[in-house]
Amino acid sequence: MAIDRKRIIDALSKVTVAGDENGLIPAFGVLVNQLPADFWNGFAQRLTHLVDPDLREAAELLLVNAAHECGYHTGYGIITSEEWKAVVAPMVEKAPEDVLHGAVAVLAAWGWANAEIVELVPGERMVVRAYDYYEADPVAYGRASRPQAFMLRGVCAAFMDLAYGGPYDPTGATGLRTFTCAQTKGIECGDPYGEFVITRAKA
Amino acid sequence: MKEVVFERSFDPRRCRHLLDGRTSVLHCHHYSTLYTQLADDCTMLDARGLLARVAAETFFGILSSLLRKHALETPAERLAAAERYYAFAGLGKLKILSAGPETGEAELERSHVDEGWIRKWGRRDSPVNFITQGFLAAAFAAAFDRNPLDYVVREISSIVSGADRSWFQVARG
Repeated sequence: MAIDRKRIIDALSKVTVAGDENGLIPAFGVLVNQLPADFWNGFAQRLTHLVDPDLREAAELLLVNAAHECGYHTGYGIITSEEWKAVVAPMVEKAPEDVLHGAVAVLAAWGWANAEIVELVPGERMVVRAYDYYEADPVAYGRASRPQAFMLRGVCAAFMDLAYGGPYDPTGATGLRTFTCAQTKGIECGDPYGEFVITRAKA
Repeated sequence: MKEVVFERSFDPRRCRHLLDGRTSVLHCHHYSTLYTQLADDCTMLDARGLLARVAAETFFGILSSLLRKHALETPAERLAAAERYYAFAGLGKLKILSAGPETGEAELERSHVDEGWIRKWGRRDSPVNFITQGFLAAAFAAAFDRNPLDYVVREISSIVSGADRSWFQVARG
């Protein structure tokens, strides 16, 4: 495997991101924003903790689904971008496995998580470990009773969709949600890292 | 007018972007509009209001730090810094047209949320920019040393509905 994770993070974390004269950041085929992690966490945490306890899982799934769809389209934008072609594509020897390793490195460069793939069964299963991620930040004391990295869950599943779910479909009608992700460990739950297990979605 | 510079850095050990010392993350219009849609569709609670409140409180913290750091004293300096931060963050081109401690007006010439929504789903009749409603409450509160949750922000016309620009009315409730 020729993917140099450190080099990718080093190169892509330095890509200058700032609003243009219109206050917009067009990059990677999407409009990018750079907002405080507290904003995203604040909405997700308060939404999931304010709803009736019976609805909490449903609220969590809405957040995961938002990230899943985002990860699918943005992930595709990333792996077809000029930045990717310049930095990551030359390292890819075996697709789509190297592409997945590269995409997880880009995820780190975007500030989503210090994460890496620790297990990959092509076409079937991937395990990602995240040693630091902003979604764990809201728990400043004690341990949460449930894992709360909804964004990482969705994005990890989306990356497997892109790798093994068939051709990219801009409408999301096919290709999207062919995989699902369970968060089995969480820093917010007192574990030393977050762990995300991605498997084929049941039909 | 004092120049406001945003200090960015990347912590490679934690893989975190920091903007003026706070963790900041890159996301795209898919994520922001899907969160907005989630808030809009949610029947479990008033999630539109929640999204605006979270924006108001978060951005109030950011803008308050900014004005302390740069010793911004006048409402004009503070509001200009808010507009600049809004653009730097990629949220669009915001212009505060008039402002006092009690009321004000603002327009949005370009909008990450509205334009992202149109790219994704096309136009719609009702406004969707709950994030900017919260941002404006934060900007007014920071400018006039008030509580951001005191302000009521209404989006009167919207880019997402086909207007040339979005127009917001701000009042202390």
